Amino acid sequence: MSLSFFSRINRELQELIHDRWLFSLLSWIPLLLLALMWLIFSQGIPREVPMGVIDLDKSTISRALVRHYQVSPTLTVDDGYMALHEGEAALRSGKIYALAVIPSDFGANAILGRAPQVTVFVNSQFLLVGKIVTSALLQAQGTFNAQIEVGKNLATGSPVITVAIARALPTANQITPLFNISLNYAQFLISAILPAIWQIFMVAATVLSLAAVHRNIGLASWLGDSPFRSLLAKFLPLSLIFWLHGAIILVVMYVWIGWPMHGSWLLLLFTQLLTAWASIAAGSLLFFITRDTDRSMSLASSYVAPGLAFMGVTFPVTDMTSLAKIWRSLLPVTHYVEVQFAQVNYGAPLTSAIPKLLALSLFSLPMFFVFVLAYWFSRKARAGETA
Amino acid sequence: MSWWDIFILECRAIFGNQAIMLTVFGGVIFYSFLYPLPYAHQVPREQKVVVVNLDGSQLSRKLERMVDATPQVQLSERAYSVGEAQQQFVDKKLAGILVIPENFYRDLLLGKQPTLSFAGDASYILVYSTVLEGMLGAGGTMAAEVKVSRMLMSGQAMALAKEQYSAIRLNIRPVFNKTMGYVSYVIPAVFILILHQTLIIGVGILGGEQNEARMKGLGGYWMEAQPFKLLIIRALLFVAIYWILCIYYFGFSFEYYAVQHFANLAELNLLILPFLLGAALLGICIGLILPRRELATLIVLLSSMPLIFGCGFIWPTESVPAPITAILQFIPVVPAIKAFLQLNQMGADFSAIMPLYKQMWVCVALYGLLGWGILFLRRRGYCTSEKGPDILCG
Repeated sequence: MSLSFFSRINRELQELIHDRWLFSLLSWIPLLLLALMWLIFSQGIPREVPMGVIDLDKSTISRALVRHYQVSPTLTVDDGYMALHEGEAALRSGKIYALAVIPSDFGANAILGRAPQVTVFVNSQFLLVGKIVTSALLQAQGTFNAQIEVGKNLATGSPVITVAIARALPTANQITPLFNISLNYAQFLISAILPAIWQIFMVAATVLSLAAVHRNIGLASWLGDSPFRSLLAKFLPLSLIFWLHGAIILVVMYVWIGWPMHGSWLLLLFTQLLTAWASIAAGSLLFFITRDTDRSMSLASSYVAPGLAFMGVTFPVTDMTSLAKIWRSLLPVTHYVEVQFAQVNYGAPLTSAIPKLLALSLFSLPMFFVFVLAYWFSRKARAGETA
Repeated sequence: MSWWDIFILECRAIFGNQAIMLTVFGGVIFYSFLYPLPYAHQVPREQKVVVVNLDGSQLSRKLERMVDATPQVQLSERAYSVGEAQQQFVDKKLAGILVIPENFYRDLLLGKQPTLSFAGDASYILVYSTVLEGMLGAGGTMAAEVKVSRMLMSGQAMALAKEQYSAIRLNIRPVFNKTMGYVSYVIPAVFILILHQTLIIGVGILGGEQNEARMKGLGGYWMEAQPFKLLIIRALLFVAIYWILCIYYFGFSFEYYAVQHFANLAELNLLILPFLLGAALLGICIGLILPRRELATLIVLLSSMPLIFGCGFIWPTESVPAPITAILQFIPVVPAIKAFLQLNQMGADFSAIMPLYKQMWVCVALYGLLGWGILFLRRRGYCTSEKGPDILCG
């Protein structure tokens, strides 16, 4: 009995709706996860990161320095530590992320112009927080230094404030964080995390949806006499649902939250469609290689779970080893994310996306294997039936 | 059923299940090499930057050389206007732009404070901070040199000038991960998560499979065994398997990737126990609830991202909304990551991680009771139905 293509699609849709887990996986779970990730990063920029100060000097100048740290929105200062071992214990147990030690002759030396040194231990085990704290400290220190020196210069004979400033700071720095002006960590992380999660969903849902037919009606009878049409009838609605997920991610980030988006929506959406098909190809290949739900889910999870690390957002691609680059190119979402960043940030010309699009279309190769495997399997099954 | 019978049957069920073996041993070993792969070079280096030198003086060229000499930055391109630099920046995917203004040298001599412009691609914040660190470092050194030479010109002695170019000096010392390497940053925490997740998948597959059989009306030793015995044997078997994998991770992998570690063996093992036990019991609970075995993998897979970003090692716990943090505290891996990092990476005393340690035992008790409760109720239902053989239930 041969089903028409539309009745096959209808069969797939019925199954999606009736399989509770599959339905959840394609409907509310992605939204829940999206909301959860957004909530986790909703603060955008870490504020009031705790740091400790051991002020062995307790002079006017040392206290002024501590106040400079305190007014930084990034830091919140606890200067109640009396001795080094107390502060050390707090740093080791993660209560504070940095510990500043102001030496006992700090104020006196500063007045005598002997440039006393403040030592700050920054917890770099938490690299990102460590970097945030470091830059806040440098900023606070910079203004504090400038204040002291400008005051000194004014006292020792530069009558004009601009000259006093220029003597204190020979050059001024203008720092521009391009494409993320406020250095919003949420924007930086979420715009990479959401596509990574999207990828996980697509591959997992593809495997689960194939597993569902395998369980309910058996792979062989589902493929029937026209495996090609059966597969296409499954992949078509799936790809459209995945595409919708992708579009929701984009809309949430660049319309609802309102992060700036400079590129072409059309190109982004087109890339997403290709990514969805590429992910379906990867997921279904894993399933057809094993034809076993457990093992294909295991393989799929090892395949997609570390995706974020390979996206090149937290760590530059140029510094990855060639082995990492190879693994990276096997993940559809890494190609997508490059197009997303290029479009959103620079509004790059369409031509620059072509290599990525070509890479994504190379996933037609695993798709081809899927069809070959399905064809081979259904023929074998039918031969077994007639024998 | 005796302890020994259950033990043998459990061993057969675990070691005879390919999916469990693939996830547990295959997964852990595969991840131990795959996850550190992108970070193998530890720190981003020699990021490509374009320079716009509108001054062309000898001093500005010296600044260029100084920036180029930093390990973080490489001046790979040169542009003759800011617009051209922007174009190159986008086309060649550079990491930053350095602009040295016109009359830089003259203004410096006149004491007019010229402005150096630094720009970086902040859509990649961690790379951005590296690039800025390099460029600003070189710029700061240049400014200090200018100050010292001015002081020398005004009659200061070299030794004094060297000391006095700045009112106070800031000495920032990264501790626990001195080189600020990515491998040492990511690996210790992510490996804990991998152990936790694969353990739950393994137990979950086993439980889910038996649950699947139960819903088809089939029975087995897992319905007949006393809940208490089954729970303890299953949890301890997985703890034993994962203890070996823990030794592999904390021993071999940490040495292999040269991740520094402080904890002594006894304390580390003391911490491993509630961590593995809590995870195994949580896995048993998940397995008991799930209708099908592959769903364990799915749930664990989907939970990984919120767990890794919510547990406080990337994004500070202080910045995560309190309700989310509160919910996450009930997942064994969340206190475990903190405790392991503090004990093994940051060298905290065991007494300092006591609150976390207790919390991990609370998780053990919670999931132990929950698992036992479900098993107990199921078995009672099974025994009262006509299917239950009276001898076993009696």
